[in-house]
Amino acid sequence: MTSEVEPSVTVTTKKGLAVRRRRSDVPFFFVMSAISALFVLLIVLLLAADILFTSFSDFTAALAKPEIQVAFRLTMLSCTAAAILSIWVATPLGYLLSRYRFPGRWMIDTLVDIPIVLPPLVLGLSLLILFHLPVGGWELEAWLRDSVGFPVTYRWPAVVLAQFSVACAFAVRTMRVTFDQIDPRAEDVARTLGCTRAQAFMQIAIPQAWRGMIAATTIAWARALGEFGPILVFAGATRMRTEVLSTTVFLELSVGQLDAAVAVSLLMVAMAVIVLLVLRVLGTGLTA
Amino acid sequence: MSSKNRILLLIIGSVILLAGIFAILNLGNHATSDDPPQSIMLYCAASNRAVMESIREDYEQEFGRKVDIQYGPSQTLLSSIEVTRSGDLFLPADDSYLDMARDKQLVAEVVPIARMQAVVAIKRNNPKSIEQFSDLLRDEVRLVMASPDTAAIGKVVREVLSADGQWELIESSVTASRATVNEVANDVAIGAADAGIVYDAVLNTYDDLEYIELPELADAASQISVGVIASTDQPQAALHFARYLSARDRGLKHYAEFGFRTRGGDTWSDVPELSIFAGSMLRPAIEDTIAAFEKREGIKVNRVYNGCGILVAQMKAGQHPDAYFACDSEFMNQVHDLFPEPVPVSQNELVILVQKGNPKNIRSLRDLTRKDLRVGIGHEKQCAMGWVTQNTFRESGIQQEVMPNVTVQSPTGDMLVNQLLTGSLDTAVAYLSNAAGASESLDAIRIQDISCSVATQPWAVAEESKYPELAGRLFQQICSQSSQGIFAAEGFRWQLDANKGE
Repeated sequence: MTSEVEPSVTVTTKKGLAVRRRRSDVPFFFVMSAISALFVLLIVLLLAADILFTSFSDFTAALAKPEIQVAFRLTMLSCTAAAILSIWVATPLGYLLSRYRFPGRWMIDTLVDIPIVLPPLVLGLSLLILFHLPVGGWELEAWLRDSVGFPVTYRWPAVVLAQFSVACAFAVRTMRVTFDQIDPRAEDVARTLGCTRAQAFMQIAIPQAWRGMIAATTIAWARALGEFGPILVFAGATRMRTEVLSTTVFLELSVGQLDAAVAVSLLMVAMAVIVLLVLRVLGTGLTA
Repeated sequence: MSSKNRILLLIIGSVILLAGIFAILNLGNHATSDDPPQSIMLYCAASNRAVMESIREDYEQEFGRKVDIQYGPSQTLLSSIEVTRSGDLFLPADDSYLDMARDKQLVAEVVPIARMQAVVAIKRNNPKSIEQFSDLLRDEVRLVMASPDTAAIGKVVREVLSADGQWELIESSVTASRATVNEVANDVAIGAADAGIVYDAVLNTYDDLEYIELPELADAASQISVGVIASTDQPQAALHFARYLSARDRGLKHYAEFGFRTRGGDTWSDVPELSIFAGSMLRPAIEDTIAAFEKREGIKVNRVYNGCGILVAQMKAGQHPDAYFACDSEFMNQVHDLFPEPVPVSQNELVILVQKGNPKNIRSLRDLTRKDLRVGIGHEKQCAMGWVTQNTFRESGIQQEVMPNVTVQSPTGDMLVNQLLTGSLDTAVAYLSNAAGASESLDAIRIQDISCSVATQPWAVAEESKYPELAGRLFQQICSQSSQGIFAAEGFRWQLDANKGE
């Protein structure tokens, strides 16, 4: 920021104008900072209010509950699984949407965004219907349960799938923007030098998209953490089995346990901060 | 490390990480799939979570059967049941959701548990001095309530206050309308509102809140019940837990502790034995229904069929069944102190039974006075049929003349039918239902214009029964459409409005 506050060296011929510019910079940064600070302050105040509402003993008591510990474990595992799955799917899909013009591209582009705009409960209901819709006597859930031995609805796979459905949509959007910003020329040059498309993708595009991938993983993980509606409908909120922290907050609120709800909320904030920081450090380095 | 190797490493690493996560999650999943096969799945309103967790803990400890509980908003749970057709029990925030579920044929039995009363939630020590209905209308009082369109309490309160013409007043005073009753309580708890109309039971977990009861809201209450999901493949296990929930010395104790209003309920028994006294003529109409009920509930029903006079004598001698299904109201009246609330269920017509083809050419009651006839009738003291028969003879003015022809007085109509079939009687006066199974061998001649020749069969549950709810559910089954079909086939005329029986 300091390097940008030194434009006065360019003003040499009209002294009065130079003075006006130096004067105008202060209110400019003041207004900009004040507006920015308002939002940052709002977030800080929200967290402060949460911290003031609960006490340390309430916080530790809530976290000592075995069901909340199980929910914490499931949240960490399912969010990470959803984020990894999202980046696997989002990288090739984002690349294809960014690099190629093919028939029906606009439709795929629109479809991919649907989980973002769809009300969360609708997404959960859609997943539920998908797994239980009888088609000529055959039902996906029944087949998975009886033939494959892998029931999904109201089990942990439903949690991961519900989180993945939304998280992946955000990751695809991020990866697409990432590849849009990378000049395809380097890949074209690699191909003229004998690389296949796959080699150009793996050796040229992916290394350049590195930070975008970290950003997409970060967004996917964060979205998965905040996911609530689809999980409640598709995976349920069965204690010690499909309860994640977001559903814990809902359950605690439902019985008036505001202290516990706030404690779990703060735990989620702490988790999000730690995970997001780690991912940011991985992707951009500490100084960024 | 080259970028190519680094990417390869990351791909392999992420695969291993994902596989590890799935393995850990699956390990937990296996722990639940190894549960006893009879674990129960309950869809439960999130507002009942606190009380349900304590009941679940006791139940699992007592019976070793696991209860998986899925919490959520009632409407969401109902939608899930509709889509998945899975689960065993449904316990919504109030029974209006069970009505919806019943309309969609998603729920079979409904077992009542507890009641919640609409009250006004305020901060402890009542800082705004809210004491009566008019205080809620004061400008400085921020009142919140749940929307009548989304929450049961809103609907109930609107109905009650609209009847008094006070709904518009309160509606115009509401600062905010919330989606659920818990949101209202939370608003008052965090100070966003001064008062909120909530259920009393909701406030049990709010230490900073108390409530006042208003006479205007006295009729605004909701019932909590649990419904057995119609598609369950283990109704016995589901009903076992439902009985546990509604038992006065088990689930209801917890509900009372958590601020719900409880009343009645059955005494807990792992396999309860329900005792039913019923007139003999009712046996063909109810036996199959009772047997099916026994099997579905996983209980035992000890039924005693006999002439109603004998049954009444047994009850007066000290035997007290849980329910009594009498052949005629007269016999129910004789034990009114034991069964204060009888319900008339069906009617049975007295007829003259003769051999097929009516070889003795009997056309009316008057013909029974002919000297050449051997007549069988019911015993007037031992059964309702005999008592009704004597009344009918008296009414038609033939009592003195017909009695010399009466060869036998039996305690049950079935015995008269058997005697007719063996040829030891020429004719008998019995119920149409008695001859229902012998239409190939016997004809029935209608008794005209004598109103007392029709008997009414009332059902009642004993005041001192240990299992009034269970007996009530049996009665629901007796009132079901299929059971009514059996009654009709056996010659009974259904009298009770089907809805009253439900």
